[in-house]
Amino acid sequence: MSKRVAQAAIERRGGDLMPAGRGGPEPNALRLLLAPRAGPRRAIGYVVALAGTAALTGTFLPVRASLTPLSEAFGFLVFVVAVAWVGGLGPGIAASFFAFGAFNFFFLPPYNTFVIERPEHIAVLFVLLGISVLISTLLNRTRERAVAAETREGELRALQELSSELVGRVPGREAYEAVLERLTSIIGFDVASLWVEDEDSPGRLREEASIGAVAGTLEPRAPSTRDGNSLERVPLSVGRHNLGMLLLRGDRDPLTPGESRVLRAFCDQLALVLERDRLLHVAAKAETYRATEKLRRALLTAVSHDLRSPLSAIKASVTDLLDAGAPEDLTYRKEALASIDKEVDRLNLLIANLLDMSRIESGMLRARMQSVDLDEVVTQSIDQAKRRWTGIRFATSRDPRAAIVQADPVFLDRVITNLLDNAARATLDAGNASVEIEARPSNGSTVVRVIDHGKGVPATAREHLFHAFYDLDERGPRLGSGLGLAICKGFLTSMRGNIWVEETPGGGATLALSLETEKGT
Amino acid sequence: MIAGRILVVDDEPEIRRAVGRALGARGYTVESAADGERAVDVAPAFAPDLVVLDLNLPGIDGLSVCRQIRSWSQVPIIVLSVREDESDKVAALDLGADDYLTKPFGIDELLARVRALLRRTVAIESRKPPRFVFGEVEVDLETRTIRRDGEDVHLTKTEWALVDAFTAHPGRLLTQRWLLEHVWGPGYTEDFNVLRVFVSQLRRKIEPDADRPQIIVTDPGVGYRWVLRPAEAAVPPVS
Repeated sequence: MSKRVAQAAIERRGGDLMPAGRGGPEPNALRLLLAPRAGPRRAIGYVVALAGTAALTGTFLPVRASLTPLSEAFGFLVFVVAVAWVGGLGPGIAASFFAFGAFNFFFLPPYNTFVIERPEHIAVLFVLLGISVLISTLLNRTRERAVAAETREGELRALQELSSELVGRVPGREAYEAVLERLTSIIGFDVASLWVEDEDSPGRLREEASIGAVAGTLEPRAPSTRDGNSLERVPLSVGRHNLGMLLLRGDRDPLTPGESRVLRAFCDQLALVLERDRLLHVAAKAETYRATEKLRRALLTAVSHDLRSPLSAIKASVTDLLDAGAPEDLTYRKEALASIDKEVDRLNLLIANLLDMSRIESGMLRARMQSVDLDEVVTQSIDQAKRRWTGIRFATSRDPRAAIVQADPVFLDRVITNLLDNAARATLDAGNASVEIEARPSNGSTVVRVIDHGKGVPATAREHLFHAFYDLDERGPRLGSGLGLAICKGFLTSMRGNIWVEETPGGGATLALSLETEKGT
Repeated sequence: MIAGRILVVDDEPEIRRAVGRALGARGYTVESAADGERAVDVAPAFAPDLVVLDLNLPGIDGLSVCRQIRSWSQVPIIVLSVREDESDKVAALDLGADDYLTKPFGIDELLARVRALLRRTVAIESRKPPRFVFGEVEVDLETRTIRRDGEDVHLTKTEWALVDAFTAHPGRLLTQRWLLEHVWGPGYTEDFNVLRVFVSQLRRKIEPDADRPQIIVTDPGVGYRWVLRPAEAAVPPVS
């Protein structure tokens, strides 16, 4: 009965799993749990029914005169119950009729005929048959129920094991592989492969995880039978959305209905978990996109502000020179032109910084390391900075041992230029006028310090100082010094160097960088 | 040329310098401030005739500076803004700033606004209800008559109130909110439609061509500006 129900259930699901016969000879966990009643046991039942009837008859025959037919009948009844218990319904019924025949023939007078002399013996005979058949039937039903219950329990246990495996793992290929491992060991396959829909090209499947075989050998379009191996294809879907397919292959007979049930139920859960993982992935991507978008907007605002400031100054000076009412005298014109020149330099530096930043962020930066004369780079950078910052005095002091560093000369120049700019701005804002640059050896490397006497950097801000959009200014995103310092950090990292901020004694910030002195490996 | 005292407030030293240089060369006396605190400190003593105020300032922002200056002075204020600060710009105008320029701006534009606003101050100080003439249109506030092609134009009470609001601030960019509050009352500051209807009504009565207004000019999304200069205003000596 339970078999019919299971089969009907499978047919309702679409019948894509072949309903199966008896389990194969090869034992496995689920099969033991689901142990069906063995065929040989029934055959033995029939033999026992026949032999037992003969033996019982033989036992009772010598003493039949001293026993009442009723006690003999009870003896047969006990025997029938025993056969029905051991052999099931068929042997039980058979034993009932054997007992009926033998009792009538041998034990109801007149003996050795089927004729019955006394009417009450007819009643005894048919009561014996009735009770025998009834008990056989009842016993059989009870046992079938017990077996069905056991089977269910086995299925549920297997399913529960699989689902706890499934939900208990962190999403990812390894989790899927572990779950497949478990599934194959429970149901008895050798190879399992999980194919999921490729998110970039909907409708196409790609192999997400596989065990027991080289990846890609078990394909959704593989021929259904190969060398007598059993191949199962279970589609995985949630609602109408097809998520993928589970493929199983093993040297075994087709699945039993119980195994099919477990597999289907497991695959439904697997589909839900796949869907969950897919949604988690989508959510993570959306979050990343949102963060990128926010950063992009901040960059845009910052760039537009920082580009517009020098542009505004240039436009003001240019329109002033163009205006008919502008003074004709040469000093005035030169002053305006000098201001334009300076702002053009500033724009140029800013654009160079933006390009550098994009190169650093895209990972396209390759330092061409060589021995660089520190003096040469620093002197050149200071000369340029003096042009941009006319009111600032730049003083240098160098330890004679700190002459050569390992660096990319172009990168180093950009770093020093940015640091000088940063220091000059901070110093000027604080109404000061001097910036110091010093170079000293330190543990096999050379440390260059650019010292300003500005407002300094509060301890809380130091760790963010080298982020592209960080500026101590609270007026929203600005590139300002943040971009310059982020670039310094990017350049120094590519040159195996380091950069950090210290406090200037007496107030202000000291930006320190270190580079290797000797040629490294 | 009317000269005057101008306070330039901007945190960008090069802009400060360029604007200061240009204004100085044209006879204005210029003082500059790099941030809001300094602007608020300097303004009372310097007693400017006009303030050029960047809205994006470190420390006290431009809006607060605008509010503080307005609390004790009606000095014309031109705010400098960037395109992203549209709402700040309108807020500053609502607070009583007179005009704005979007960075980057030309010095010629700045000079034109400065001249227009300083002339207005002079006109107000003349204390005599002014007269405005534009082609065949004549608006006389003293006799409270408007003549067009020699004929009297009748204005409703609200239309007169609107004309009064405009002519009290010739050259100044009046925001929609400001006009609604001063003509209709504080409860009407969101009724932009009412304002639009009345302005177009007024234009049909006084503009030579209502489709191409030349007296009440629209600054899209911000407000309106009465661009006529007072005629025959006695020009006082340059201060």
